[in-house]
This record gives sequence, structure tokens and C-alpha cells, in this order.
Amino acid sequence: MSILLHDDTRVIVQGITGKIGSVQTKWMLQYGTKIVGGVTPGKGGQVVEGLPVFNYVEDAVKETGANASVFFVPAAFVLDAFFETIDAGIDFIVIVPEHIPVHDVMKMRDYADEKGITALGPTTPGILVPGKGKMGIMPASLFAPGRVGIISRSGTLSYEFAGILSEKQIGQSTVVGMGADPVVLCNLPKILAMFENDPDTDAVIIVGEVGGEQEEKAAEFIAGHMKKPVAAYIAGRFSPQGKKMGHAGAIVRGSAGTYEGKTGALREAGVTVLESPIHVHAWAEKYRLR
Amino acid sequence: MRLHEYEGMDIFEKFGIPVPERGVAGTVDETLNIAEKTGYPAILKSQVLVGGRGLAGGIRPVQTPEECRTTAEALLETEIKGLPVREIMVCKKAVIERELYLGITIDGYSGRPVVVVSTEGGVHIEETARTSPDKIASFKIDPKFGFYPYQAVALLRRAGLDGKPLNACADILVRLYKVFRQYEAMIAEINPLAVLADGGLMAVDAVLEIDDSAMFRVKKMLSLSPEGRIGNRLERKGKEIGVTYVDLDGDIGLISSGAGLGMASMDIIGHGMEPANFLETGGGITADLLYKCMDLILMKPLRAVFINIYGGINPIHEGAKGIVRYIKDHGVTLPIVAKALGNHQEETWEILKSGGIHVVTEAATEKAVERLAALLNTSSPMSRS
Repeated sequence: MSILLHDDTRVIVQGITGKIGSVQTKWMLQYGTKIVGGVTPGKGGQVVEGLPVFNYVEDAVKETGANASVFFVPAAFVLDAFFETIDAGIDFIVIVPEHIPVHDVMKMRDYADEKGITALGPTTPGILVPGKGKMGIMPASLFAPGRVGIISRSGTLSYEFAGILSEKQIGQSTVVGMGADPVVLCNLPKILAMFENDPDTDAVIIVGEVGGEQEEKAAEFIAGHMKKPVAAYIAGRFSPQGKKMGHAGAIVRGSAGTYEGKTGALREAGVTVLESPIHVHAWAEKYRLR
Repeated sequence: MRLHEYEGMDIFEKFGIPVPERGVAGTVDETLNIAEKTGYPAILKSQVLVGGRGLAGGIRPVQTPEECRTTAEALLETEIKGLPVREIMVCKKAVIERELYLGITIDGYSGRPVVVVSTEGGVHIEETARTSPDKIASFKIDPKFGFYPYQAVALLRRAGLDGKPLNACADILVRLYKVFRQYEAMIAEINPLAVLADGGLMAVDAVLEIDDSAMFRVKKMLSLSPEGRIGNRLERKGKEIGVTYVDLDGDIGLISSGAGLGMASMDIIGHGMEPANFLETGGGITADLLYKCMDLILMKPLRAVFINIYGGINPIHEGAKGIVRYIKDHGVTLPIVAKALGNHQEETWEILKSGGIHVVTEAATEKAVERLAALLNTSSPMSRS
């Protein structure tokens, strides 16, 4: 087992005919992902990597039995395509593109919540189950099968942690990129709950960063609902404070968002805070993770 | 993108929010002419895109034309938090009885707009939030439902507002939300909303920050001054070539292919060395882009360069060609350490090595920073766990 991406996940690639979409489709297929087709409006009837291309998601679902989708759609068109995909009955969506307007993302989040579907991103590398398959852009060579779950706000840092673990023969059960935008489609506690319930995951690493309050909410969830060991790294300890633009955010969040606020909340919830990524070795050793 | 105060006020005015009569000056003479029209005592407000202007001396009352002249001269020659004052907004000094705060921003976790109000606005608003939380109230808007006057009234009453300004203030708050929506703002804020001696209300400040990703839709509604909008020369250059660049004080140049990876690299380098910048390429690496990135970080003196990139969506072998081409074109002899992993990694290593770059093939950034420290004869303690 794994979380979100399973043996019966049948994936379509939206934006499959684009330069990035077609290259990444080839790599996802090479990794063993069950890709069943693609969608690009106006390009229906074409074939990419041996896969049929459709104009509309509805047709793709009808013809291929797809139940998941990964987006390589230009940012300005993502909102419409996202609604179309949910209405076509797809219930797991990975939004790779960056620079999607945040007011669009708020609408997407609202609709995803209302319809009860799960979506990752925007600005996510996607999800990878080592040795099984991947939806998104994670570079396969860094990952190894095993029993540690990784959930990361940063794409490149999810590769970094997987790579550091794999070098010591510590494999991963599922690696999830949440997305790096101020609003994401799936919050951290929901993913943590999936890892807690996954029989193939023994422990979880949270790769967070300063800003927002995902890690603080995760700490609340861990204290109340998790038994598996959790380690966390927060990037941005020495980052210069962003040039401050207004008071509203600071007033609402108080100390939330800072390195100290996040690591304090996580420690209180029993999480091992990693001062530097490479310290994950010692943590894995302590829990004899493989 | 943050708008200047006067640009924000023009928009607020269009939406029916009361703002002072005002003008914008780029010279001392223009400042005097505007003050003549709007009347004395006047307020001169430096138009720089940074918070805490007032406390830094960028907002000055003047009583007479003589004082106006000397103050304008002084302001146009100062820098506020590193930003030169190029424009001054001039308006008549209002007689303020009381200062309120109205702000709307995005609550990331709930994914909804959040309205924040306080009956004690002004420059110390964040302190008020800590010391008297009862003077602050907030409310998350369901965007599909909208935001109505009755909700604004209820919110303001929770913050302790009552009496004559209540309904007028609620009306302004609803209009502010319309601005927030229509201009796809990250922040729309009035601090303070002044309660005047005659009981009227006036927005004597305007903060409006627009989502950069929405600019393709919003820019047709804007007429913006091109001058001095963001940061320093290098930061503007970064924006031009399409990367995130933040200028820092150290001497180790940094290029990373993700914000998280860049922050982690800074954190690790920061134990013993000082990054000169933060540069994050995002997912658009090409040979040309990394050539320009090298050019950008080398616009100031460096002791070494640290490159940390992953090939996920990025063709790092292409990027490597740009780096090496730059080194050869410009005869760069600085020590350069690179960690580059992922798709096309072997090809990337070969290209980087051909440019004399020290390539680290282990996954941990700490190992690459150790190599950098060894080259520079400094110590880097972070990899000891």
C-alpha cells in the first residue's frame, strides 16, 4: 500500500501535448505509472507516447476509466480545467504549474473541499511511490522503496531528503509535495492522517518552511492523533524577513509563521526537530527505520 | 506587487472610499505648488514601498511654505530603509479625533480572505494586537457568499466600535473588499482610517499589494509609475530575467532551483559563512537563464559561488552549459562548488567539471557546503549530527 497513488490509480495527463507535459509523461511511464491518456483542448485525436489525446476530460474518463489527473496546464487556464476535471468525476488531482493567481486557488480549494476530492499543489512536484509510480516531476533516481513517509512544502527539498535517506538504504513509502503557494489545495494534517493510517508507513518526515501556519496546525494534529514517530525540518531559519507589506497577516497570526514558533509547537507535540537535513540519519537510526 | 500609497488612494477613491485631496510631487517646486492648492498645515509623505515609513521619519507635517520647501528638499535627498525617496505625496493635514484600522488579507490555511479590524489603529497596530487583543476582531469571508454590510457591522461591533461612525465604517469595509477582489490583492489595508473632528471618516493611508501571478489580468486596470518600485538594482535585474533575487550582505553567491532548497542552503552556509544573495530560478531553467544568473550574482564582489540545483522539471544539463559558457566568456576564476542531482545528472556533472567547477555528487547539501568551506579554509559544523 501507499497513500493517494495506488495500483488501481489510472492517470490522465492534462497538457500532455506541451513540451514539459510530453517529456514528463515519458518519464512517468518509464517509472511504471499507469497513465491511460491525455487531454489538450484542440489536440484531440493525437497520440503522445502511445497514449490517446482527448479534447475534454469527460471523454477521457469515459474512454479510459481514468480516476486521477496530473496538470501541466498553463497557469491562466488551470482554474477552468480544474473545475472541468472535478465535474468529470476525477477525485485525485496533482497541480504542478507555478504562478497560478491566488484568488483562483481560493476558488479551487473551495470547490475541492465542497466535492470532497483530494488535490495537491499548486507549485508541487507531485507524488511518488518508490518503485511503483509517480504523478508529477520528481526525479526518480533519488528515491528508494521503504517505509518512511515524506511530506514536503518545498519540491526540491523533498528530493533532498529522499536522496539523503536513499544513500543510507533507508527507503520511502510515499513522498508527497504539498505545493509551495500561500494557499494550497490540501493542508498538512490531512496528509499526516493518511500516513498514520497507512500500514506500509512506519514514520513520517515533515519538510516545512517559515511562513504560514501549516506546521503549527500539524503540531496540533500530531499531539492529538498520531502515534508514529515524526521528524520535521523547517527551512528558512536564517532567511531575511520579507520586506513587510502590511499588518493584517501579522495581527492574525501572531507568532505563527516564524522558525521559533513552528519548531516550538512541533517539539511540544513530541516531534523531533532536525536542525539540518543530514541529521535525519541519526533520527532514522534511533527508530531503526528502513 | 505593492502599489504606492497614492496609486492605492486613486483606486480607493474610484470605489467610493473617502480619501484626502492630494497630489504627487517629484521636485521641491511641485511639492510647493500642490501644498498651495491643498492648503496648510500640510503633510508630506515619502512614497517608498516599505512598512514603518512614519516611524522612520518619512512622513512630516509642515506649517508654512518655507517649512514645506526645506522639508521637501530634505526628504528628496534621504533614503528610507535603503530606498531613495523619489516622490512625495502632499495633502492637507486632517484633524484626527481617532484612528481605526481596516485590513483584508489571505488566510493561507483556510484558503479564505480574512478581514481584520481594530478600534485602535495607527503605527502601533501590531503592538495593540499583542497587548489588547480585545480591541481587534477578525472574520473569514466565504467568497461564494460575499461580504455584506451586516457582517461588517457585526465585526466592527465585536472590536468595540459603536455610535456614529459604525455604519459609515462598515460601508467602507465592504468597498475595501470589492477593491481586494477586483484587484486580486494579497493585502488591502487602511491604517489609519481617521475619524475626523466633524465625525466624518477618511482613509489617510492606502496599502494595496497585488498578486504578481494575477498581473496578466490586473495590469490593464492600472497606470503605474515605473520608478523605484522594488528593491535595489540587483533585485530589479533579477525580476527582469525572471528569477527571485534577494540581495544580502555576505560574499558567497548562491544559485538554487527552488525556494525551499535555497533557504536550506542559506541556513547551512550561514554556519560559518555569509550568503551574498538568495537566487531561486523556479522551474524555468535554460542555458541562457543560468548564464544570466551568473552574470547577476557576479555583479558584486564574491569570494565563491555555491550552486544547488535539481533536475525534476528543470533540464539541469542545459543550465550547466550556460554556467560553463559564462565562466569561459568572462574568465571566472572564483571557486565554484555545485551540487546537481536528478534527471541528466551524469551529463550535468561532466559539463560542470569542464568549466573547472567542484562537483559534489552526494545528496546532502551539508557535504557540498563542507567542500566549499574546505576550499575557503573555513569550518562548517552542520554535518556533524
